[in-house]
Amino acid sequence: MGSCLSGSPTEDFTRLRTEDSHDLESTPTRNNRRSSDSHRTGGHQQRRTAYHPTPGIQRTASQLSEDDQVKIAQRIGLIQHLPTGLYYNDSSKKTRECAICMLDFEVGDLMRFLPCLHAYHKDCIDDWLMRSFTCPSCMEPVDAALLSSFDG
Amino acid sequence: MAELPRRIIKETQRLMAEPVTGIQAVPDESNARYFKVVVAGPKDSPYEGGTFNLELFLPDDYPMAPPKVRFMTKIYHPNIDKLGRICLDILKDKWSPALQIRTVLLSIQALLSAPNPDDPLANDVAEQWKTNEAQAIKTAKEWTRIYAVNS
Repeated sequence: MGSCLSGSPTEDFTRLRTEDSHDLESTPTRNNRRSSDSHRTGGHQQRRTAYHPTPGIQRTASQLSEDDQVKIAQRIGLIQHLPTGLYYNDSSKKTRECAICMLDFEVGDLMRFLPCLHAYHKDCIDDWLMRSFTCPSCMEPVDAALLSSFDG
Repeated sequence: MAELPRRIIKETQRLMAEPVTGIQAVPDESNARYFKVVVAGPKDSPYEGGTFNLELFLPDDYPMAPPKVRFMTKIYHPNIDKLGRICLDILKDKWSPALQIRTVLLSIQALLSAPNPDDPLANDVAEQWKTNEAQAIKTAKEWTRIYAVNS
């Protein structure tokens, strides 16, 4: 509570428009997902080079503190424990669209399954889990018990 | 120029096809990540009768990062400061990529109906809201009439 006041006063709400220029130099990210899925098992984060030790904080690898590096390494390890699989056609399934990229799931898409039984494209959810270890749909901690045992 | 992610295209199309009642969001002609938003003051709130202009920007890492939203129209509200910045958890630490422009705008609309002076952004307004709510609501209505009612 009251978290808004503790935020940095320089937080950039007053210059929304100036950020337009970032569009020009931003790198392609998820657009070419389908064509390169098979080669991107672990390379996603490396390619982006930006890490988010806590949500909203963006750091390059060289800017990370030792603690943050450990935290990120642990996070990568935890994510690898979550099951993956290929999407297959099953008429009983309700979810047809990835809640993150909003594309329809297609047979053969690489998926990751969370303990709460929500599923997403692997690349989509991995990108998020590196920022926040919660399910985007139900906000459940992905594995609070496991995570707290690592964090001490 | 980076290609516009399909999610943004899809969200924009859906917003146009099924707009939220009382909310209008139109992407800028020159930048599809920048939306001009108009929110009608909710019924039975001190903002009723007013139309509030906001700007909404989808950063490069949207939807991994929340949209940036700001009130352009002056408003007397404990969770909105004089620069138009909004104190809303889903725009900060409670953001989730499963949320959308639509849900963000609905939450802002709800914030107008239910100000939360216990989690203030504008301290003086929140103080007034807590110590003399009647006066605060009166001021909010006045500001609505002065700044948010089209002449």
